[in-house]
Amino acid sequence: MFRKLLVLTLLAAFLAGCAPASVPSPTVEPASTAAPTTQAPASTALTLTDGLGREVKLDEPAQRVVSLAPSNTEILFAIGAGAQVVGVDQFSDFPEQAKGLSGVGGSMGQYSTEAIVALKPDLVLAAEINTPELVKQLEDLGLTVYYLKNPTTLEEMYGNLEIVGQLTGQDVTDLVSSLKARVQAVDEKIATVTEKPAVFYEIDATDASKPYTYGPGTFGDLLITRAGGTNIADVAKDPYPQISLEQIVSSNPAFIILGDSMYGATPDAVKARPGWVSIDAVKNDRIFPFDDNLASRPGPRLVDGLEQLAKLLHPELFK
Amino acid sequence: MKYMKSRPYLFSIFALGLALLLSLAIGSVFLSPSQLWAALSGHGTQTSTAILWSIRLPRTVLIALTGMALSGSGAAYQGLFRNPLADPFLIGVASGAGLGAVIAMSVKWPYTFWGLMAIPMAAFVAALLTVFIVYSLARLGKTVPTTNLILAGVAFSSFATSLTSFLMLRSTGEVRRALGWLLGGASQSGWTAILAITPYLVIGLGVLTLGGYALNLLQFGDDQAQQLGLNVTRAKTVLLVSASLATAAAVAFSGIIGFVGLVVPHVMRLWWGADYRLLIPLSIISGATALILSDVIARVVLAPQEIPVGIVTALAGAPFFLWVLRRAKNQGYW
Amino acid sequence: MLKIENLSVNYGTRRILRDISLNVQGGEVLALIGPNGAGKSTLIRAISGVIPSESGRVRTNGDDFQALSPIQRARYVATVPQAVSLPPAFTVWETVLLGRTPYLGFLGQPSGADEELARRALERVSAWTLAERRVGELSGGEAQRVLLARALCQSTPIMLLDEPTAHLDLQYQVSLLELVRELAHHDGLAVLIAMHDLNLAARYADRVALMDAGEIKALGEPGQVLRPEMIEAAFGLRVQVVKHPFLDVPLVLPDSRK
Repeated sequence: MFRKLLVLTLLAAFLAGCAPASVPSPTVEPASTAAPTTQAPASTALTLTDGLGREVKLDEPAQRVVSLAPSNTEILFAIGAGAQVVGVDQFSDFPEQAKGLSGVGGSMGQYSTEAIVALKPDLVLAAEINTPELVKQLEDLGLTVYYLKNPTTLEEMYGNLEIVGQLTGQDVTDLVSSLKARVQAVDEKIATVTEKPAVFYEIDATDASKPYTYGPGTFGDLLITRAGGTNIADVAKDPYPQISLEQIVSSNPAFIILGDSMYGATPDAVKARPGWVSIDAVKNDRIFPFDDNLASRPGPRLVDGLEQLAKLLHPELFK
Repeated sequence: MKYMKSRPYLFSIFALGLALLLSLAIGSVFLSPSQLWAALSGHGTQTSTAILWSIRLPRTVLIALTGMALSGSGAAYQGLFRNPLADPFLIGVASGAGLGAVIAMSVKWPYTFWGLMAIPMAAFVAALLTVFIVYSLARLGKTVPTTNLILAGVAFSSFATSLTSFLMLRSTGEVRRALGWLLGGASQSGWTAILAITPYLVIGLGVLTLGGYALNLLQFGDDQAQQLGLNVTRAKTVLLVSASLATAAAVAFSGIIGFVGLVVPHVMRLWWGADYRLLIPLSIISGATALILSDVIARVVLAPQEIPVGIVTALAGAPFFLWVLRRAKNQGYW
Repeated sequence: MLKIENLSVNYGTRRILRDISLNVQGGEVLALIGPNGAGKSTLIRAISGVIPSESGRVRTNGDDFQALSPIQRARYVATVPQAVSLPPAFTVWETVLLGRTPYLGFLGQPSGADEELARRALERVSAWTLAERRVGELSGGEAQRVLLARALCQSTPIMLLDEPTAHLDLQYQVSLLELVRELAHHDGLAVLIAMHDLNLAARYADRVALMDAGEIKALGEPGQVLRPEMIEAAFGLRVQVVKHPFLDVPLVLPDSRK
């Protein structure tokens, strides 16, 4: 029986190896989001290496872009390339203009390749929520796909803006400068803070005894810290851990940020939860609704998120 | 109706042909039969040729093959276990494959041909390993009692499913990807996938088709089958391995699509009787038809959004199954 | 001719059959009687190869059954089990044809000759009219006759029957046993039949083997085996054995008088 398995596995490998590879395998390179390589500045042709290590070539900046993730859509519009976007995934809801564009699917990871192809894009902008299989599928259909890796720091996020700027022929220097300035303003104010209050950020409390929160490695965690707070879940091991009510109570956060307010969570509902009444944030009525997209979508609005969080945590500094 | 009843192959193949036509015609752009013919013979417009050859044809073929594998092995499992509730995932092939896939998803594979093949291969190998493990657990000396197989399979399934859920919980980034895969969908619909699974389907389903007579004998119980001359342990093993091979190949690229393997054989039984020499090949053909139609629905209902086909088969399959069950109540056809 | 030599069978560590030796000649009906748990069914199953034996041999004139493949053995021995939990969807015709399995290729396509044999077998058991009916619709007696027809199709020199009359009405018991006797006397089969009804055994068997606790306690003609002390020892029941009023066979009557 085991022998049969071995033979069959080898047969699988053999046969798969015989199958025609539709695209010559690109060389594997570590993903670079910081400094994209470009050819001679005189021509408009571009060659970049994307987040999957793939070499992406464009003869000129893309004029018909399909975005496969809300974060990419936000980036495209923020850098001024909104007019060049011809299709978006169904979750792209910001800015307002994005809602009117042709949809290409996207729920549960299922996109309509036909819809994408029908839009005749010269660039498909994928994000980390898209699978490499999807990228391959679109690549096989002859489309140019750029896989934008998620940034882990704000600097990397600026880097992504620059990449997309190159891809679409938009100059992002002003945008990046203004973002950096805003962040610096916050940093300067927060540097004067002596006490960083404990913060609990709620992503999902369907089970209120074990809500989901941002753990280390997430932008939510990063923003909380940068905004002058201490994330009570930064001792967790997973990026999106469930934290027990007991732990919340014993950490006694001074602030509760409701990232799930877009799903209906309200401060009053939190106050009414059994066992939550002893928490400082509840006692002092410091429970605030928050647009989670500002902390989760890896685009320029992260800076908005930073500013809003800083204002919530240290209102006296932002009069 | 009478005419249809007496020519099962004709009717089934005709239905399959219609389904194929429908699947190739429908999408973001409707291709009429003449346009289809033009595109197939190389005279079509650039758009229709591209859409047909790059998107619809490979997707349709893969879905058809998946449907064949699931229904054929479903019918075989029902015969092997003498149980109308048996489906290809009875002894844990699906959960094993899911676990293998989710484990593979937690690794960042390089974007190369083999890197992209990693997940389907992991699912395939895990599926076969599952069968091997369950079979070994259930074996008593020289025989493999049916009940033991089912129990071992159910136990292993629970284990694998829980482990899969746990892994998914711990890496939320991959949950979406894992869920999409688990719910079933021809996401890897290139010709590569088709070429990779075809040999296993040919072998697995071929053996099952030839094993129709043995399955008939097995319906009378292991004792009587042996007394009539069947080497029961060998037959069961061969049939089990073949069915599992086909299922594993189907699941590797298409994820877990339920209901097709359960319902299609029953409908075939209702219309054309319980002779497995007919039932297996008819299930194979009609399984392709059923899954193609489900896929068309999955593409059309909420266009351009696409529903995973595993959801459609359950949503549509459940009421259909209940209807079949009601009609069969008076006929004792199980 | 069936030769059982020192056959012992275990279920796990429990010994069910101890050192059974028995011959069944061609042309005779040998009835296996004894209380439940004596090992009658086990013996039948062991001979037909469905359960493994610990030691001993089962042979026909030349061949040792252990050395045979299931198909080869199926050409020597046909077994008629009890007609319970048969797959209801099969037709009688399909079921009887399965008896030809040992002679068909693995694709299972019967020839005209095979079908002719099946038809004749069905006629012999008076079930030809049932041919298109589904097994699930049959009565116990009809189903049992169909299984007998299937065994007939197997064209074997040896036939085993495992309590075929257990769930049958009296008239079906009689007609089945008459047919079984005819198969032996007229067709020359060696027939081993496990039965629980002592009087039917007396009436239709040429020889009787009394089994108890995995052993053969007595073997011989009905008159020799069906004796009050033997029956009492095996069944724990006092009986009187008298001569049958109109047949030359013994008649066993339970006697609970004090």
